[in-house]
Amino acid sequence: MTFEIEVAGRARRVTVEPAGGTDQAGGRFRVVLDDVTCVVDARRTDLGWSIVYEGDRRSLDVAVTQETRGDMLVQFPHVDVRVGVDGRRFRGDPLDGSRSANESHVAAPMPGRVVRVLVKPGDDIAARQGLVIIEAMKMENELVAPRAGRISEVLVSEGQSVEAGRLLVRLE
Amino acid sequence: MKLLVANRGEIAVRIIRACREMGLGAVAVYSDCDRDALHVRTADEACHIGPSPAAESYLSIDRLVAAAVASGATLVHPGYGFLAENAAFASACQRAGLTFVGPSPDVIRLMGDKHSAREAAVRAGVPVVPGTAQFFGVNASDEVVITAAEQIGYPLLVKAVAGGGGKGMRAVSKPADLPSALRMARSEAAAAFGDGGIYLERRLDTPRHIEVQLLADAHGTVVPFVERECSIQRRHQKVVEESPSPVVGEHLRRELTEAAAAIARTVGYTNAGTIEFLLDSAGRFYFLEMNTRLQVEHPITEAVTGVDLVVWQIRVALGERLTVPAEQALTPRGHAIECRIYAEDPDRGFMPAPGLVRALTVPGGPSVRDDRGVTAGFEIPVFYDSLIAKLVVWGETRESAIARLKRALNEYRVVGVSTTLPFFRWLVEQPAFAEGAFSTTYLDGVLAARQGRPFREPSSQDEQDAVVAAAVAAWSASHGATTAPSTEDLGTWRRAARLDSLR
Repeated sequence: MTFEIEVAGRARRVTVEPAGGTDQAGGRFRVVLDDVTCVVDARRTDLGWSIVYEGDRRSLDVAVTQETRGDMLVQFPHVDVRVGVDGRRFRGDPLDGSRSANESHVAAPMPGRVVRVLVKPGDDIAARQGLVIIEAMKMENELVAPRAGRISEVLVSEGQSVEAGRLLVRLE
Repeated sequence: MKLLVANRGEIAVRIIRACREMGLGAVAVYSDCDRDALHVRTADEACHIGPSPAAESYLSIDRLVAAAVASGATLVHPGYGFLAENAAFASACQRAGLTFVGPSPDVIRLMGDKHSAREAAVRAGVPVVPGTAQFFGVNASDEVVITAAEQIGYPLLVKAVAGGGGKGMRAVSKPADLPSALRMARSEAAAAFGDGGIYLERRLDTPRHIEVQLLADAHGTVVPFVERECSIQRRHQKVVEESPSPVVGEHLRRELTEAAAAIARTVGYTNAGTIEFLLDSAGRFYFLEMNTRLQVEHPITEAVTGVDLVVWQIRVALGERLTVPAEQALTPRGHAIECRIYAEDPDRGFMPAPGLVRALTVPGGPSVRDDRGVTAGFEIPVFYDSLIAKLVVWGETRESAIARLKRALNEYRVVGVSTTLPFFRWLVEQPAFAEGAFSTTYLDGVLAARQGRPFREPSSQDEQDAVVAAAVAAWSASHGATTAPSTEDLGTWRRAARLDSLR
């Protein structure tokens, strides 16, 4: 089977075929990635997969989590890598304004209660200026502007409970 | 004899373990969302005490006392947080004929009030941090506070009178920032402690946070323990603690522990408590506050002294004499470090990250202790503190403890929710950490300088490995299996939960 797998903004064509003793629980696979061919022995585990490369014998204990359809979080002991499978590109978290200069909204990253709204429509704001304070897990968390701009809309009020992903503020 | 644990999470599990070892029955309490929590599963008996919001369950004095009485428990351990430093709770236990595992209500009240605690330290001959002797109630106007702030000078700290754990505390470096800091501190303090009163304190230049654990019995014996260093803090919340401090020698240790014991004797303290000090760069120390309860970081003291603090809390509460040798308590054996693992996303400004723990691997091996309140399959609630586990390692030297910590951090795997593990893996590689060259302002400074850069960035080898793993997972998924633990795939995490419980 051939998949298009995107990692770190680069899409790669990957072909994976069973290479002996393979079923849903794992077995040997031949993986062709760009010009590189490798053979791995992959077995399902409580976390995801145990992968041993034939050749250099490297052993990887990998946690694989299907996030939204197509996006996968691949976790090694020392680092996490996000990948997109088959055109479902990993775009960064849409709720996280701080990573993108073009974000036009700020959403609640977790469920909580709005304890304070610090801006109103028409306000000019600087990058990283506080917009809304949400209380969750006993801490007040100040959500900041992803970029400088003007507030076009405030969609919540103080005291309101919000779910994760709820839009709070729109920027012009 | 039974003991009711008036708490949840890792500390409830910790206390239940002490009960087991002492042959006491352990009674857990739980709110709606905690029915399948680890502390309930670990206990001998469990009482439902109300809805998920803490105010209606873990903070409800009436319900906790009623649960204790109904279960036939004669002892109540409050843990830390919630009602642990609430004098009214200790009094209510007394009135109901229950033994509260902690100091008397009068001492909780005295040392819980920052004002009278400062006065007690002064009476004991211990220096205090310069600040206002004045306390500002909820109705004090901003103008009054601003005038007082001018007398102390900037930078300063706004702190909650009823505070603790960094809640209701804000650092202010210039007058213009004071009104918003006041607002945040007051509302946070009111929400966390039901008291919006605040006070001001001079902020020392690059101080270290050093604290002294002590135990005291009802017969006048006070035993102070080797110090803990808790300078690595984020927004005034401790994230890493170690014992002994890399900068405290025997002479300073004697001074610090004698000062702590003097304060405890001055107020007639009983049970476990901790005196917190700030240590300035000239080696002068100042009383900061006293915590009249068990501390989150108590395991590092246990690791270097071999004394079980929770067992002694219970024995002292039962009226036993404290027989821990002073020499044993003051002489550190090796070095211990604790990391507080929170369900927070370090790459998103440490935002809380509640949710379902889908799979879990905990570190083991020599001298590694994992005090944890969650299991695979547990949904971390949004209602409480986000601490999910404390990883404690011991080594013969500080250097070997750090090597062991790095090893254990890479063994620790939490799947399903973001945790602060990637942050710790980064922190332990920092030269300042290896050298022990930090103050309470260190972490906030380096975090601000990083400007949100991810703590661990994959190498091209990691990316290639991830593609291979994803390809195998995608192949498996398209052949009828689910890729791995996913929200729709309850079977996998149930299996994971079973594996975890067998471990």
